[in-house]
Amino acid sequence: MTDQQLIDGYLNQSLDAEAFDDLQERLLSSAVLRADLRRQLALVDHLEQLSSSDGDVELLRPWQQTPPEPLPMKNTLWAKLPWLVAAIAVLVAGAVLINDRSGSATDEVALHADSASEPSAEGFAVVRQVRDAVLADDGSLDTDSMLTSETLKLVSGSVELQFFSGAEMTLQGPAELEILSAWEAVCRRGSVRVKVPEAAQGFRLRGPETEIVDLGTEFGLEVGAEGAARVEVFDGEIAVHHRQEAERLITTGDAWELPSDGAATQIEPGIAQIPSPVEPTHSSRYADWRAYRDALTDDERLIAYYTFAEKDGAIVDHRDQHHGAKIRAESVASRWGGDEESAVEFRRPGSRVRVSLPGEFSAFTFMCWVRIDSLDRWYNALFMGDGYETGEPHWQIRDDGRLMLSVMVDDSQPHPKNPTDAGLHRVYFSPPFWDPSMSGQWIHLCSTYDPAQRQVCHYVDGELIHQAEIVDQFYIERLRIGNAELGNWGQPFRTNPLFAMRNLNGRMDELAVFSSALSPQEVQEHYQQSRH
Amino acid sequence: MESEEKPDRYELFVELFAAHESDLRRFLRSLLPTATDTDEVLQQTALVLWRKFDQFDPETKFIKWACVVARFEALAYRRKMARDRMVFREDILELMADEGAEEIEVRSAEHDALELCLAELPEKQRKLVLLAHTPEVKVKQLAADAGSTAAAFYMKINRLRKTLLVCVEGKTTSAGGAAS
Repeated sequence: MTDQQLIDGYLNQSLDAEAFDDLQERLLSSAVLRADLRRQLALVDHLEQLSSSDGDVELLRPWQQTPPEPLPMKNTLWAKLPWLVAAIAVLVAGAVLINDRSGSATDEVALHADSASEPSAEGFAVVRQVRDAVLADDGSLDTDSMLTSETLKLVSGSVELQFFSGAEMTLQGPAELEILSAWEAVCRRGSVRVKVPEAAQGFRLRGPETEIVDLGTEFGLEVGAEGAARVEVFDGEIAVHHRQEAERLITTGDAWELPSDGAATQIEPGIAQIPSPVEPTHSSRYADWRAYRDALTDDERLIAYYTFAEKDGAIVDHRDQHHGAKIRAESVASRWGGDEESAVEFRRPGSRVRVSLPGEFSAFTFMCWVRIDSLDRWYNALFMGDGYETGEPHWQIRDDGRLMLSVMVDDSQPHPKNPTDAGLHRVYFSPPFWDPSMSGQWIHLCSTYDPAQRQVCHYVDGELIHQAEIVDQFYIERLRIGNAELGNWGQPFRTNPLFAMRNLNGRMDELAVFSSALSPQEVQEHYQQSRH
Repeated sequence: MESEEKPDRYELFVELFAAHESDLRRFLRSLLPTATDTDEVLQQTALVLWRKFDQFDPETKFIKWACVVARFEALAYRRKMARDRMVFREDILELMADEGAEEIEVRSAEHDALELCLAELPEKQRKLVLLAHTPEVKVKQLAADAGSTAAAFYMKINRLRKTLLVCVEGKTTSAGGAAS
């Protein structure tokens, strides 16, 4: 890490023990670094003082104690949460817009960021999926609609909710669920299945006589018409507080009966009626997409098409020609959700999918669906030629959210501006298209490299966001790939660890490489056919 | 006699302490991991300063004396702190304290410049950077509520701090140039 990274880590209190030791060693030997740190700590002190005396921000203080305080839960502080969530979302989106005034297509990007910030702008949870749901009082519920503090009365059918804390919930009717905050809900009737990722630990679900605090897990709760309940833990641990009884920790495989007027008793698992885990959404769109996907394989221009299904340990090329090898990368649910693991996650530093695509080409199109959790690296890899030798592509995303495509023009020549750089090449940057408010969303990315038309194009969700000319100096006719990697870069020739670490903190679903530059219409078509 | 003398001394103390509180706080902040730790040691330091106020020589600078006391209090606090906290080793804390005590005036000038720089920051960015530095606010939580990850959020905050530092640097060096 650089000195400044260590200082930032210390200021943010995010260093691990090893890095902190490193910082101390450097501080001991450098008066300059010590002075620098003091200067920056003085800045932090000033900000801390201002923020704690600022009325608006003062409201935050009680809130920072999330997950919520003990009962009674009708806490006025929680009433302020929607405002807060909205404020933060706007701030974050705003900061990105202000930061990134450069770039020619800022307007498109601005629109993007605005719409991306909407989901967190109002409410505590979003409706992910509605299945044959009939609501009481002729109410209606649509996918993607936002829920604030309100009561959901389901006569029949089921809905899937995602709370902004990160908790996911499937609610099976007949049911009555009151949403109190992004961290808390009350189930008065019905059955729910709750899945709580690490970030949402502490999510609280209350039954008629019971309070459950999730300690990072998946569990179910069934509440009958008379208020009697049953709870079962599928994975992990929960803390259950039933009536006046002492808190009880329940772990994987355990189930308890929670009568409305008596003591909790342990029961056999499997008795409680809990909704099944989220099923793949075999909607008509999904079926359409599968048909389109199969048809696409007949496209002569296709070099490879990874849909990330696994067969005999290999990542399948849908054309059955150039299967890839998955290394440390995890198979995860595809963007269609459900159990079908046909996307890969490159979260772990060494993770990658290795491929080998022989041949010589006259143009490139790279196209994929990605779900970026965060842009942790300076450069975050999508598709990277191993050696970055003449004619080989690098397709990646910079930490400021810009899509990058480059092809090595001549690796024997020095880079004109930076002699220590790899060789003669040019990186074509898009304006920033991604900001942290889009974390976790599936996005369709496409970049084309067309020497014949002298053109490089970048697309996000089917829309052209940037177009650049290939000038004479950087013109190259014959393109190659050879050994390459998805989601990482296997053969970094630099020693700088900032460069060397390029795994994409996120998921990739469906990556296609073409030997020609698809037209804007074709890119739009593919996006439309493959989106939800 | 004593009872009459005390209110005077008390007033003098309060006046001096109030005048130097932010300098002293800043000094302590450079020795301790968080704002909360700083608050605690500052409080303790104020108490000790008041108790020992009799020993204070009005011919010397109050802040120098206060820094000496604060340095001891920070060291004492350090020994009480859990080992897993990000608290500086004794030798580093001492170096930081010795050097920091010499920079009180520089810091004060930077402080004024920083006010200007913050005012120049677009409002949204200013609010964001303040939000992130609200004592005991968990950045992870802020990030999660904004639909972001901690890493990305930190990166944004780091950049905003850098912007401010560069601005402060510009203002303090140009101000110095104009004066000389």
